[in-house]
Amino acid sequence: MNSTASCWRRAPRAVALSALVVSLAACSAPGGEAGGSGGSGGGEGLPDTIKIMSINGLTGPVAFAGTNAQKGTELALEEIEADGLLDDTTIEVEFLDSAADVEEAASMASQAIADPSYAAILGPSASAQASAISPIVEQAGIPTVYVQAGSDGVLVGDYTYRLTPPATSYYAIVGPYVETQGIATASVIFNSGNPTLVQLGEETVPGLAEEFGFEIVGSTGVDVTAQDFTTPASEVANEAPDAVFLELTGPQFPTAITQLRQAGFEGEIIGFSAMGSGNLASAAEVSVDSVWPTNYTPTQADEGSQAFLEAYEATYDETPNNYAAEAYDAMWFLARGIAEAGSADRAAIQEGLDAIAEEGFAGAQGAITFDEHDARVPGVLVRWDGEAEALVEPTS
Amino acid sequence: MAQDVLNALTLGALYLLFALGMSLAWGTINVLNFAHGSIFMFAAFVAHLLVAEVALPMPVLILVGIVVGALLSLLVQVLAFEPIQRRAQSSHKAELQILVGGIGIAIIPLSIAQYVTRSVPFGYSAGDFEVTSYDLGFVRISNVAIITLIAAFGLAAVLGWWLKRSRSGLALRAIGVDAEVASIMGVDRRRLALLTMAVAGGLAGLAGVLLTYYLGSIAPETGDAFLLKAFAAIILGGVGSILGVTLGAIVLASIETLVLVTTEGTWAPAIAFGVIFVMLLVRPNGLLGRKEVKRT
Repeated sequence: MNSTASCWRRAPRAVALSALVVSLAACSAPGGEAGGSGGSGGGEGLPDTIKIMSINGLTGPVAFAGTNAQKGTELALEEIEADGLLDDTTIEVEFLDSAADVEEAASMASQAIADPSYAAILGPSASAQASAISPIVEQAGIPTVYVQAGSDGVLVGDYTYRLTPPATSYYAIVGPYVETQGIATASVIFNSGNPTLVQLGEETVPGLAEEFGFEIVGSTGVDVTAQDFTTPASEVANEAPDAVFLELTGPQFPTAITQLRQAGFEGEIIGFSAMGSGNLASAAEVSVDSVWPTNYTPTQADEGSQAFLEAYEATYDETPNNYAAEAYDAMWFLARGIAEAGSADRAAIQEGLDAIAEEGFAGAQGAITFDEHDARVPGVLVRWDGEAEALVEPTS
Repeated sequence: MAQDVLNALTLGALYLLFALGMSLAWGTINVLNFAHGSIFMFAAFVAHLLVAEVALPMPVLILVGIVVGALLSLLVQVLAFEPIQRRAQSSHKAELQILVGGIGIAIIPLSIAQYVTRSVPFGYSAGDFEVTSYDLGFVRISNVAIITLIAAFGLAAVLGWWLKRSRSGLALRAIGVDAEVASIMGVDRRRLALLTMAVAGGLAGLAGVLLTYYLGSIAPETGDAFLLKAFAAIILGGVGSILGVTLGAIVLASIETLVLVTTEGTWAPAIAFGVIFVMLLVRPNGLLGRKEVKRT
C-alpha cells in the first residue's frame, strides 16, 4: 500500500477524532456552557423546575442520619415553596439511597454530573462516601452541599460546601463549664479509628486543659468497633478524675457510660454531639447528667431554631434532631444560592452560594457563618436528663 | 493487676460466648456461618421488643434469645445451607458457597433491625433486672459479669464434654472428619446437622441476650463487630476444638487488655491480630486444632 495515500485516508478520521476530543473537553470543563446548566429551560432566568439529587444513606448503619436528614430537607422544600423565594420555580429533590456503599454514592454522583438536568447535589452524610465523590463533583463543576461528613478530603474546592460545623469549631464552649464545675482532673477515652474523634481526644481536649487549667491524668484510644469498655473504665476508675471526656461513636456511648459507672467512676461525663439523638436512652439512669456540646438542640433559644422546631413538630409530630436541622439548613442554603444566582446554571449557583456564605444566614442551627465553605455556629451545651436534652445555661 | 486479669477474663468470656456456636458448627459439620453475628443480634433484638412491652425477668429473656436463635439458625440451614450442600460439586466448594451465602443472609436480620431501631442502640432497661456492682477491695465485679463468666466457661465445658463423651458428640465429630464414611457407618447426617445448627443458633441467641445485659445495650451492627473476633479466636485456638476456642478467646482478650493497659490503646487490635498471624505461621492448625489426615 502506498504510505502517502494511507496517510491521507487516515487524515479525515484524525480530524474527526480531534474534534470529538475538543468538544468533550469543552463539555467537562467547569462552568462550560454545554454541560453546566441544571433544570429544563436553561439559559437566562430560572426554569420552571430545578432538579437536585440527594445522595444519602436511607438504609444501613447511617440510616438514622439519612432518614432524619430527608425529613429536614422536605420541610425546607415546603417552606421554600410557600415563601416564594424562587417565584414560580419549583425545586425537585430526588432522594437516592446510597446505604453505606461508597461505590453506590460515586455512581449516583456520576449520574447527576452526566445529566444536565441536575443543578446541584445534596451530598452523603458518611465521610467515606463524601470524600469519594468530592473530587469528581469538583472536577465536573456541580455544586454539592454536605451535612455531617466531617473528615478531611470532603471540602476540596469551589464547588463543595458543608453545613455541619466540625465539632472542633465549637467544642471550646465546654471550657467555661469545666471551670465553673471546678473540674481539676480529667481522663479521655476516644475512638481511635475516627479522625474527628482522634482530633478531639488528642488535640482539642488537651488544648482545653491547657487553657482552662485542668490536668489530663489519662488518655486511652479504643478500637473503632470497640464494644466492651471494661478495661478503659477500670483505668478511669483507678485514676479517679473529676471528669471523663468521651469521644466515641453514638452506639458506643451507652456501653461506655454504663461500664464507667459499674467500675465505680462517679465524676462528670462530658461527651460529643453523637451522644444526642436519643443514643443515651438505652443507658437509662446511669447516663443522666451527661453533658455535651452540640451544634443543635431543640431547646436552643435562637429565633430560627424555634421557628424550625415549631414547623418540624407540626409537620412530623416529633422533636427534630441535629441531622434534620443540618439538612434543613443545607436545603435553605442551596435555595438561597439559586435565588442569588437567578439561574439554574451550575457555575452561577456556585457563585450564588459563595455570596450567601459571605453574608451568613439564620438557620435551624442558629446564626450560621462560614469559614470558606465550612459552616460555623456558636454551639450549645446540653445535659441529658434521662428523657430529653436540656440546655445548660452558658457561663462566662 | 487483679482487676486487669478479671477484665481480660471477662472480655475472653464475651468472645467465647459468641464464638462457641460458630466453632461448634464449623468444627463438626463444616459450616462456617457468617450469619452467626446477625442471629446473635436479632435474638437480642426480639428480646428487646418483648421487654419494651412487658417487664420480663432475665431468665425469660434468655429463653427467648435461645429459642429465636435456634429457630433462625434452623431456618438458615434448611432454606439456604442444605440446598447449597446438595448442589455443590465438592465439599470444598460447598464450604465456600456457604460462607458467601451466610454473608448475604446476614444482611436480612441486620436490615430489619436497622430499619426498626434506626441504628440507635437497644437494651433491656425496661426489664426488671438490675445490674449491681460488688466492690471486693482488690477487684470490682458486677452481677452480670459473674453470670457471663459462669455461662461462657460453663457452656464451653458442657459442650466439650458432650462432643467428647456422648454418642451423638462422637457422631458429630465423625462427620467433621469424614462425612461420607460417617454416613456409611450409620450416622444420620441431616438430623445431626439440624441439631448442631439449632444448638449453635441457641448459643448465639443466649450470647446475644447475655452480652446485651453485660454491655448495657447493643446496636444492630454489634454482631458484625464480634464476628471477626470470634473468627480469630477459633483460628487461634484451632478449628474443631472447644478447648481451643476457649484458649483462643482468652489469649485474644488478654493481648488486647495488656495493650490497653500498657499503652494508649490504639494499637490493641493490630497487635492482637499480629500475634495471631505470627502464631499461625508457627502452628497453622492453631493451638489445639485437629490435625489434617492425608491418605498416601
